[in-house]
Amino acid sequence: MTADLRRLGRRGSYRLGRLRAQGIADPGPPSPFRPSFTRPRHHGPTPAWLAAGLAGTLVIAAGAAAGLWFVPFIAGLVAGLANRIGGWRARIMILAVTIMAIAGWAIPLGWLALDGEPAGATARVIAALLGLPAFATTGVIVTFAVAVAQALAGLWLGRALTPFPDRG
Amino acid sequence: MLPERRRSRQVGRISQAVLALGVSAVLLVILGAGLGPVPALGRALDPGHGAWTSAAGGRLPASRTLRLPGLAHPVQVRFTAAGAASVSAATDSDLFLALGYVHARFRLAQLDLQRRLGEGRLAQLTGPSAVASDRFELQLGLLRTARQEWAGMPRSSPAARALTAYARGVNDYLATARASGQWPALFSLAGVYPADWTPVDSLVVQGDLDQQLSFTTVPLDYALLERSLGARRTMAWFPVTAPGAQSPYDPGPYRTLGTAPLPADPAAATAAVPAAAPGRGQAGGRGAASAGPARQAAVARAAAAILTQVSALPAGQVHAYPDSNAWAASGSRVAGSGAMLAGDPHVPQTLPSLWYQVALSAPGLSVSGVSVPGMPAVLIGHNADIAWSVTDTQSQSVLYYDEQTSPSRPGQYFWRGQWRRMQQVHYVIPVRGGPSRRLTVDLTVHGPVLTRAGQTVAADWTGALGSPDLAVLLRVGQARDFRQFRAALAGWRSPAENFVYADRHGNIGAISAGLFPQVRHGRPWLPMPGTGADDIAGVIPYAAVPHVYNPPGQVVVTANQRPVASSYPYYIGTSANDFDAGFRAATEYAYLRRHSSLRPASFAVLQGSLTDGLARQVVPRLLAALRHAPLTPLQDQARQVLAGWNYSMVTDSAGASIWWWFWSDYLSAVFGPWWKSAQVPVHLDRAGLAVGPGQASLNEVLAHWTRHDRHNPAFSPPGGPARDAAGAMRAAFAAAVAHLKASPGGAPDTWTWGKLHTRRLASLTKASALGYGPRPDGGDPWTPDAADGGLASSAGPSWRMIVHWTGSGAAAAEGIYPGGQSENPASPWYGNLIADWWAGRYLPMPPARLAPAGSRAQPGARGGPGGSGRDGGGTSRTAGTGGAGNSGPGGVSWELVP
Repeated sequence: MTADLRRLGRRGSYRLGRLRAQGIADPGPPSPFRPSFTRPRHHGPTPAWLAAGLAGTLVIAAGAAAGLWFVPFIAGLVAGLANRIGGWRARIMILAVTIMAIAGWAIPLGWLALDGEPAGATARVIAALLGLPAFATTGVIVTFAVAVAQALAGLWLGRALTPFPDRG
Repeated sequence: MLPERRRSRQVGRISQAVLALGVSAVLLVILGAGLGPVPALGRALDPGHGAWTSAAGGRLPASRTLRLPGLAHPVQVRFTAAGAASVSAATDSDLFLALGYVHARFRLAQLDLQRRLGEGRLAQLTGPSAVASDRFELQLGLLRTARQEWAGMPRSSPAARALTAYARGVNDYLATARASGQWPALFSLAGVYPADWTPVDSLVVQGDLDQQLSFTTVPLDYALLERSLGARRTMAWFPVTAPGAQSPYDPGPYRTLGTAPLPADPAAATAAVPAAAPGRGQAGGRGAASAGPARQAAVARAAAAILTQVSALPAGQVHAYPDSNAWAASGSRVAGSGAMLAGDPHVPQTLPSLWYQVALSAPGLSVSGVSVPGMPAVLIGHNADIAWSVTDTQSQSVLYYDEQTSPSRPGQYFWRGQWRRMQQVHYVIPVRGGPSRRLTVDLTVHGPVLTRAGQTVAADWTGALGSPDLAVLLRVGQARDFRQFRAALAGWRSPAENFVYADRHGNIGAISAGLFPQVRHGRPWLPMPGTGADDIAGVIPYAAVPHVYNPPGQVVVTANQRPVASSYPYYIGTSANDFDAGFRAATEYAYLRRHSSLRPASFAVLQGSLTDGLARQVVPRLLAALRHAPLTPLQDQARQVLAGWNYSMVTDSAGASIWWWFWSDYLSAVFGPWWKSAQVPVHLDRAGLAVGPGQASLNEVLAHWTRHDRHNPAFSPPGGPARDAAGAMRAAFAAAVAHLKASPGGAPDTWTWGKLHTRRLASLTKASALGYGPRPDGGDPWTPDAADGGLASSAGPSWRMIVHWTGSGAAAAEGIYPGGQSENPASPWYGNLIADWWAGRYLPMPPARLAPAGSRAQPGARGGPGGSGRDGGGTSRTAGTGGAGNSGPGGVSWELVP
């Protein structure tokens, strides 16, 4: 099939990109050259790391139950130091410790609710007494924010104390 | 890698580590210790031990056995479905120990806030904003008084034993809270927790109540008014005895019995230490000896300074709003020929309420009613033989003295011919999130020095003398007839209260118990010279205080009106002391005298009455003034609405709105120009100095002029054209219509009161979301169901109670208050009574003695006054039994065991 130059620019006509001979495969754009000097990512099996995350969550929950409010920070710090071994990307670690902190403090809160205590109403009271918009969600969010802030600070410190380069 | 790049990378990494370390440290310190007003959020929001644990206090109690150290015998506590508690014990000590535990379980934050307020420790919990309040309270001296009372109280006395047992009960609960970490959220968020409770704390809470009911700054307002308006106008517009009908409950005849000695003030006795030999002629400096305009200016300056301090106090700490009611009827007025009593004390309405409903039962004591958390007693209620309620007498309880001082004699004052050394008391005020403050309080023989600005002014307050209120209330609770009731009240000192009484034998009565200070000369409504001649010379003897017993009309009403007629031979205060002008009392007397065979439902109708007694007197005059006046079409429509109005301040009444604005504008039209001309310093005390419906004196005087003195010169503004009452009313009516045209706007028949007027129950924590409302509501200061605080009311009926003694001697008792038994906003008992209160429903009061399991609360107790309703206007309250699930025993009980 040959191109009919007279149909160019008219409705239903050929596009310029199609003005090549049919049957020739498109090679696609060339891949850019990406030199890398980093180690291979995340050592060890992923399930083991997930188990560690779960353990961290339980430790945070147990710490909350024991009145050790700073455990999310310690968990974040440990996670940051452990990443020397794990080699996970920063964004993955941030996500992981955030989930760990929230879940760790959500467990005792969920326990309160399951035990029949008015957790939602209490969340609203906490928000109101803090001078925030008096919604239960506000109370829950500010609580989780405290845990997450600690965990992320710990993570940051742990990564900063890691003695060899770790780019992510 | 090049060495420079490597070094640069290392520097960057170290910097990042240092930064991360610093940020982490700062974050942990803030979360762990807080920063200034920012609470330690890490600790506070820890789900296991922080504010979240307050959720446990939000659960309703379950039946269980609790071990309380200190009990001698088991105690049973039962709760109705609505939360009212019944405590039954084998001994008084066990009873009050259990009451302390119950109060602490449901009102711990309130207990701690109240004692902190009185002891000047509020800033330790709430931060620097409370320093001014702490400073003032430590100056005033509730803590000093409480300590002296406790020190002088025989430990074997019933009151001391009750206080000791009560404190132990509170501490038993504190011990469980410490063990479990389950504190009210207020404490967890602040990171400040309550210390052990002591008997002194209970006496401080009693002092708080005393202050709220009797401490005023009226003499300071008088000083400022006299300085600006002049003495003649001040006393004409704020007279000692107002010209209108007062509806006294004790119309006389009266006896003059001289004065009884004033109880000694332990603080003053130690304060008056002679500092030098008699120093005649040595008083050269500022002081009472100087007279005339200079002294007036100095006193005014001192008054301004004190009023500025007082303005920092939490709402309600200075007495205001004279809107309580208590009445009783007997004989043919009551169905069954027994006696019936109604009481509804009006105070600032808060969540939690001032009141905690309880029935107490032990050998020799069996009472049901309302208690104040912190005090081991029922303040208003009934026992098996008598019922009582209270209203404030509004009498003058504070006298201010300007002390004579000299720059050459620092720390001294001149009294009774000698220079005396002021006693100094030093305090440290701890402040959360800030440095502690130091305070030195100077004491003279009169009381604490409140200011040295312009003049050294000391306050002589009857509340500072201490009052065996608890001992009296215990005896009242045990009284079986009027003789014992009256004998018990002989010891009551402060606050002066009208105690209204009804008993199972059909007798009724009332007594104004308390101290009524008398001076030999001088004008006690103004700050007086402190050199001794104008000191309190004594008090009205108990035999001569206002009282009645079985009055001929078979009705007694106290509604904060002046309890006696103008022929009463003793001084009890001026019209500016907020004696109610008698409008409510007149409405109540008229209703009760108009009816016979009254039932609890009839009393409930009167407690919920929204008929405005002032409007009833004034509106006909206004309509007469408007009859031939040129009116715009809008004004004429408004006039027609007013002409068809029945004086009821119900929410859907447009006439109520027109009346309110008219009266406000009428006051402004008449007095406003005088205030402006005289430059009255309204900003120093809006409640006491501003022209408005809150000024009882001006209301009373203007109502009287409108009816009987229509050409009073005050109607003509200074420098303006001559005017009479009708002219002022027409101007005020035009202004009122203009106000309402602007807001809410529309046609006059749509200007309903509910669009303008709301009521709100504020949270004690000051967190607005934890309050209730604002919600449209009826009433105003002159309706029996009163609403005070202007268009946004915050004070009113705090407890409504009706006790009907039937001829057989049995009692039907019911009551309700706006709020709930628990202070925990997450609890179903936080605001469960509000709906019933708002609808005018009542709940049976729990029995004083526990009924056998499965039986009802009390013989004759009823679910509510059938047929109760707000009168007039069509917004009738729903009648009948209390709201769903709110009446009857709830089946929950605690067994408290040693």
